[in-house]
Amino acid sequence: MYEPRIIGYLCTWCSYTGADTAGIARLKYPANLRAMRVPCSGRVSPELIMRTFDQGADGVLVLACHIGECHYDSGNHRTAKRLPVLQTLMAFTGLEPERLRLDWVSASEGERFARIVNEFTEAVRALGPCHWRQKENWVRYLDLQTKTIEILPSEVGG
Amino acid sequence: MSYTYEIQTKARSLLESKQVDCVIGYEIGPRGRTRPAFIYQPEEVERLVWNQACTHNLTIYLKEQLDPQQSGRLKTKEQTPRHAAVVVKACDSRAVNVLLAENHFGREQLHVIGVVCDGIHEGAGEVGNQRSVRQFPAADPPQFQARCQRCIERVPVVFDTFIGERPSNQKSGMYENVLDDLDCLQAMTPTERTDFWLSQFDRCIRCYACRQACPMCSCPTCLYERDDSLWVGMGIGLNEKRTFHLGRAFHLAGRCIGCDECERVCPMDIPISLLNRRLIQEVETVFGYRAGMAQVPPPFVTVLSDR
Repeated sequence: MYEPRIIGYLCTWCSYTGADTAGIARLKYPANLRAMRVPCSGRVSPELIMRTFDQGADGVLVLACHIGECHYDSGNHRTAKRLPVLQTLMAFTGLEPERLRLDWVSASEGERFARIVNEFTEAVRALGPCHWRQKENWVRYLDLQTKTIEILPSEVGG
Repeated sequence: MSYTYEIQTKARSLLESKQVDCVIGYEIGPRGRTRPAFIYQPEEVERLVWNQACTHNLTIYLKEQLDPQQSGRLKTKEQTPRHAAVVVKACDSRAVNVLLAENHFGREQLHVIGVVCDGIHEGAGEVGNQRSVRQFPAADPPQFQARCQRCIERVPVVFDTFIGERPSNQKSGMYENVLDDLDCLQAMTPTERTDFWLSQFDRCIRCYACRQACPMCSCPTCLYERDDSLWVGMGIGLNEKRTFHLGRAFHLAGRCIGCDECERVCPMDIPISLLNRRLIQEVETVFGYRAGMAQVPPPFVTVLSDR
């Protein structure tokens, strides 16, 4: 069965703790999500997201604090403005917009976290494998690997 | 009285009264090509011209002229701020507003000579058909550039000196017969669009001409030209080239004023302006914001308005 590869960028102040809360509450959510801890959702630049898709991710989930609860006051405001525009741009060049999702999870919302991950995984599963990455260039990354932090291990990417 | 004469007269008076150190305008080069000119002496103003081949966006030179230290041309900060005058079309004047909103220089350092623009001819800024990919047949009468056919504003939005006459009807009507390539592209399926864009980006040679010609691309070190970057590749693989073009378009979201200089200078004829126009459209829908219409910061640097 096809298992989508999903990268989740989780804000360390809320969503990452929210994922912990989900774990403590023994809530079940799909193992397709690889969680990346970021200092703030505002740190997730468009280059990071494009790189994630370039590396073979099928979906990218960005989880941020609720508006007004940002640890850095307005980091998630930036995210809230940028991500939809990035989604439009990537959709314009051929990515299904559903593969990129931005949502809000606070530290206590373990249940909400599990629900969002479930929903997103099923949505991406329904879309099937992502065709964004151009495989013939994969070899060119190999010489960079010594100094590059690979987002996905190459054996998963195939 | 021709526009050329008016520009020359104004430039002379500005230079003679020492109001500005430099006037940035257009001149005719030795091979008959209209090109940017930098006038420092009052007796040189006869070089300045205005014609329908004045395609360059001269606001790109402002940062270098007004703040040589920040642009890396001078090691030390100058004691007295520099002053410059610049000749702008309607589209270029919007770039002035964006640059002012981003505090690249002070308004008092700048004298804007706004010219009413009747459209720029296709093939302007080039000599004959010597370009590598693009071939312009000698059209008679000359064709207007696509951006000018789409353009509905002929009057500069910011100026100190106004040259020309305000048109009685704002819309020139030229744009009606333009095939809207943006709509065509958006009607395609995602797979078709992927194929279209990959075939376009595949031609890119990473020459960065689009970046150099852009008045908004002002980072001292370009993110896409760093060899120590962990997530942006400098290679010419398809993935990296796509990231470069999409990333550049994204950096211009809410800032691009649609002068299409990037597309004009592209030696590989990549339709970069399609990306920019799509984002202009999107930013206008989402934020109700059009870059450069007023001197206000773009939406991406401000917080959400409901706070």
